[in-house]
Amino acid sequence: MSLALRTAVVNISRRTACHRAVVLPGVRSLHSSTPVLSTQQQTTSAPTATQPVTAIAKEGSRQLSLETPQNKAEYVLSTLDKISNWARQGSMWPMTFGLACCAVEMMHMAAARYDQDRLGVVFRASPRQSDIMIVAGTLTNKMAPALRKVYDQMPEPRWVISMGSCANGGGYYHYSYSVVRGCDRIVPVDIYVPGCPPTAEALLYGMLQLQRKMRRSRKGVLWYRK
Amino acid sequence: MSLWRTVRNLQRVGVREWWRQLQYIGDAKSGTLVGADQFGNRYFENRNGEEEVPGRHRWVDFVQHDFNATQVPPEWHSWLSHIRQDPPAADPVIQNLTPPWKAAWTENLTGTPGAYKSYNTVVPKINAWDPKVRPRV
Repeated sequence: MSLALRTAVVNISRRTACHRAVVLPGVRSLHSSTPVLSTQQQTTSAPTATQPVTAIAKEGSRQLSLETPQNKAEYVLSTLDKISNWARQGSMWPMTFGLACCAVEMMHMAAARYDQDRLGVVFRASPRQSDIMIVAGTLTNKMAPALRKVYDQMPEPRWVISMGSCANGGGYYHYSYSVVRGCDRIVPVDIYVPGCPPTAEALLYGMLQLQRKMRRSRKGVLWYRK
Repeated sequence: MSLWRTVRNLQRVGVREWWRQLQYIGDAKSGTLVGADQFGNRYFENRNGEEEVPGRHRWVDFVQHDFNATQVPPEWHSWLSHIRQDPPAADPVIQNLTPPWKAAWTENLTGTPGAYKSYNTVVPKINAWDPKVRPRV
C-alpha cells in the first residue's frame, strides 16, 4: 500500500515537473495550491500574432530542435522531409474499416457537404494501397484478428484513426464479454476522435489533425542526427 | 468561381491580398472587413448574392501560416457560422453576457507539449508483484 502510494506521488510529481515547462494562459491546471501557482506564473507569456500559443507551447521541445536546422545538411534534409510530408498529407487514402454506426458518419464525410475529396482523401478498399485506417465502430473480439491482419497488410508509413467511443475505449460496450476495450489494444492509434458517433465534421477535423501530425515528421533530420 | 470573378477581385483587393487569398483560401474573395479578433484573424463579409454564393458570404483570413479552425474564438465563431447575426463588438448579448470568470481562449494544442494529458491521482488498483523472500527458520 505504501509502495503504491509512493508510486502515485512520484507520478504526480513527475507529471507536474513535465508540466512546468509549458503552462499556457488558457489552460487551467487542476492544481490551485500556492506552490503550483507560483511555478506557473513565471513561465507564462501572452500569445500574440507573431508568436501564437502553439509556438509558445513548442518552446524548448525536441520537436522544435528537429524543425530548426543547425547546418546545411540538416537544412537540405528537413526540406526533403517537408516535401515528403506535403506529398503525404495531400493524398491521404484511408482504408475504411466501418464496423458500426460510425461508418455512416464516415460516409457523410465523403459526401457532398463535407467533401473529403477536396483534401485529397479518397476511400480505398484495398489495404495494400491505403495509408490510413479509420476504425469506425465497435471492435469485437471476433473482428480483432481481421483488423490486425488488415493493418499488417498496409504499407509503411501508416496511420490509424480511431473513430467513436467504442473504438476509443469500448464505449457503451466496455463491459461486454465480446468487445475489445479500445482498438488501441490491437493496433497503434494516432488520432482518437471522440463522440458517439462523432459528427462527420469531427472526423474531418481529426483528419486535419492527422495532417498536422504528418507535418511534424522529420525522419531525415532524425536519421542524420543519429 | 470563374476567371472574371478572380480578375475582378484582383482589381478590388490588390495583388498582395489576392495572392495571399489564393494561397490560403484557394479562392479570390472580396468583401468588407467586419473586424479582427485578439489574435489578428480578420473576418470578412459580402452579402451581395451575385458576388458570393450564400453560405460562403462570411469568411475568416487566418493570421497563422499553420491555420486551424480552433484559432477562431467562440464569439467570432458564432458570428461566422450565423449563430449570431452581428459581429461580437456590435452584439449587445455577447457584450453584456460575457462572464468575468471566462478563461482566455486557446486553440487546440493537440500534438504540442501544451496538450492536455489526463492523469490519475488515486492510488493504483493494480500493482506489480514485488517478490519478498521470507527468511528460512
